[in-house]
Amino acid sequence: MQRSWRLGIFTVVAAFGLVLAACGGDDDETSAVGDGTPLPPVEIGDVDVLGIWGAEELEKFDAMVKPWDDLYTGNVTFTGTRDITAILTTRVEGGNPPDIAIPAEIGLFRQFASEGKLTPLSACQGLEEKVQAEYPASFIDLATVDGVLYGFFMKADTKGTIWYNPKVFAANGVEPLGADASFDDLIALSQTLLDAGVTPWSVGVESGAASGWPGSDWIQQIVLNEAGGEVYDGLIDGSIPFTDERVKAAWEQFGQIIHTDGFVVGGATGANATGFQESAFPPFESPPEAAMLYLGGFASGFIADQFPDAVAGEDYDFFTFPGGGITGAANIAYAFNGDSGTCSLMNHLASGASQQIWVDLGGFTSVSGEVDAAGYPDDVSRNQAAQLLEASDFRFDLDDAIGGAVQTAVFTAVTEYISDASSLDAVLAGIEAARQ
Amino acid sequence: MVGRRWWVPWLWLAPALILVGVFLLYPSIDTFRRSLLDERSQDFVGLDNYRFIIENPQPLVSNTHVALWNNFLWLFVFTALTVPFGLVLAVLTGRVRYEALAKSAIFIPMAISFVAAAVIWRFMYEFNADIGTANAVTTQLGGEPTAWLQDKHSPLSFITDSGPDTLPGPLQLNNFALIIVGTWMWTGFAMVVLSAGLKGISREILEAARVDGGNEWQIFWRIIIPILSPTIVVVATTLVIQALKKFDLVWVMTGGRFDTDVVATLFFKEAFVIRDFGVGAALAVVLLMWVVPVMVISIRRFEFQEEIR
Repeated sequence: MQRSWRLGIFTVVAAFGLVLAACGGDDDETSAVGDGTPLPPVEIGDVDVLGIWGAEELEKFDAMVKPWDDLYTGNVTFTGTRDITAILTTRVEGGNPPDIAIPAEIGLFRQFASEGKLTPLSACQGLEEKVQAEYPASFIDLATVDGVLYGFFMKADTKGTIWYNPKVFAANGVEPLGADASFDDLIALSQTLLDAGVTPWSVGVESGAASGWPGSDWIQQIVLNEAGGEVYDGLIDGSIPFTDERVKAAWEQFGQIIHTDGFVVGGATGANATGFQESAFPPFESPPEAAMLYLGGFASGFIADQFPDAVAGEDYDFFTFPGGGITGAANIAYAFNGDSGTCSLMNHLASGASQQIWVDLGGFTSVSGEVDAAGYPDDVSRNQAAQLLEASDFRFDLDDAIGGAVQTAVFTAVTEYISDASSLDAVLAGIEAARQ
Repeated sequence: MVGRRWWVPWLWLAPALILVGVFLLYPSIDTFRRSLLDERSQDFVGLDNYRFIIENPQPLVSNTHVALWNNFLWLFVFTALTVPFGLVLAVLTGRVRYEALAKSAIFIPMAISFVAAAVIWRFMYEFNADIGTANAVTTQLGGEPTAWLQDKHSPLSFITDSGPDTLPGPLQLNNFALIIVGTWMWTGFAMVVLSAGLKGISREILEAARVDGGNEWQIFWRIIIPILSPTIVVVATTLVIQALKKFDLVWVMTGGRFDTDVVATLFFKEAFVIRDFGVGAALAVVLLMWVVPVMVISIRRFEFQEEIR
């Protein structure tokens, strides 16, 4: 009687299905009739966001967006890619831009803005007023093109941080440099460590197609502090060429670190062949393979991930790059349309309260005045935020501010100079050739 | 032919023609058009973009000469390594007991994603000898760790340790390191196709040669190679086209840095990173011009073989 057996199964399944359906109906009823605390979500479209985050950073971004998700019917579709310049260009040229882009570079942002492809913040109700009131003037200026404010800086990173292993410093009787130190003091400190038998630096500039940028960070810090803000700004707007003597001197000072025997783990070849993320590890290995590392504030994330037991402030800490001026990078958020969904997410991302969520989770430095300094998880991240907001002389990352062909040329120039110190004049002239 | 309208064959062809038109013909023509326009594809600039490729005014941004040279290098070295490896392996695996197993093992690289393979080899070439297999071997043998993907010195200088000028500059170690990865991936393909050809050679011919007193070496060179030559040409042509349009491997492993750019990575970089569509399109046209003769030759050959069948 196989037939009836099958029928029996069918009946059971159908009955089960009915029970499920009944339960579902029940649920709907309670949420509609109930005491009313979970409000029905507000009708709003999906929002397509293109950014650079993946792995833990993406999880933290999702956590930051969750309150917004709960409040509205729309979903956030986030695409994270390190190749954002190429992806964003392709999508914009193909007439299919995302709703919101959050890249780390502003050269492309300025091009899009001047070509009229972006929607000003004023198109979203209350957004421009909020950003004007809560964000520092230097960051507002960077997001303004032809007098119109097009974006805001959501997540910032100082690049004035030299990370070191406090235990190595203590064991060798050296102190981290103070605020009034100079670049020569940094060289002297490196020499002292080398004489004590410790390799002072870990440097890694390898980063796929963008290899060279950590070296460019070194040089921009030196330019800002040794040659001054006018030279720095002149390099960006093109009024001062890279072949300028003061700029060349900064490259040579970087060369003092890179090309001095014994200063860098693996020497100059090692610097070119080591990924920037891996370069964050040698000072904190046991036993330590180096004493210091210069990389932006985000390096604390790499260190904390690689060494989960390391305690901020005890096992790793930073001191300010000598000279007073601070460079930094930031993720700028800008919109390609003024739809209600896009606007409401932009407002959410710009608000101090939602950025606080990521701050609490760690690895986030905010420039919004609404984010409470007490909210940072430890002194190391609090000091990074302070360094960024209190710097006497702040500049946006040099190559990110220039963008395009010149940025590519700077990266190539850095790796060429690292592999061959005698090529300096040629590569500096090469950068100028890229300006056209 | 009574009752047939002239347009009926066209109707049957239409789906194919539309697909080819939309996805091949239109992009090719538009690429050519853009190669004559400026960086934003707005104004006509004549042959300026092609002049850019010839004069190479921005070697730090996009070194067109290096990219063209590297394409040559890929074309010759990659093909010259992969075809013989494939042939030797086809002959050898045909004689072992675990033929299927041996062939599968060699064919596996072909089956995994090229990007994944490139990522694996990035670890193999890692500078840190604790991670990189190649450098673990080098340092175990008493050598210094080598920056396989960044070292622009010639391979000979690495071997003889006599400085970077023993060979012409353009023969860079890192390019050979990349080509070896390409060879690793494609040897399986060459082996499988050649091995199929090998099975097609009738036993009588080989037996006759052996009866006539030919040794295995002579049989390989005088019998197998000539009979197999059409298959070898097909494999070689496929590999040449592969070499010319090589992109994934270079892009993932070095991003075209340290003078490893090939034409395909360079036009992507020009068009979508630097946003100069003119030069990007011109490079794409140069690459197309380069591939077309190879394709024409292989199609001609195919037709010829059909005729003599």
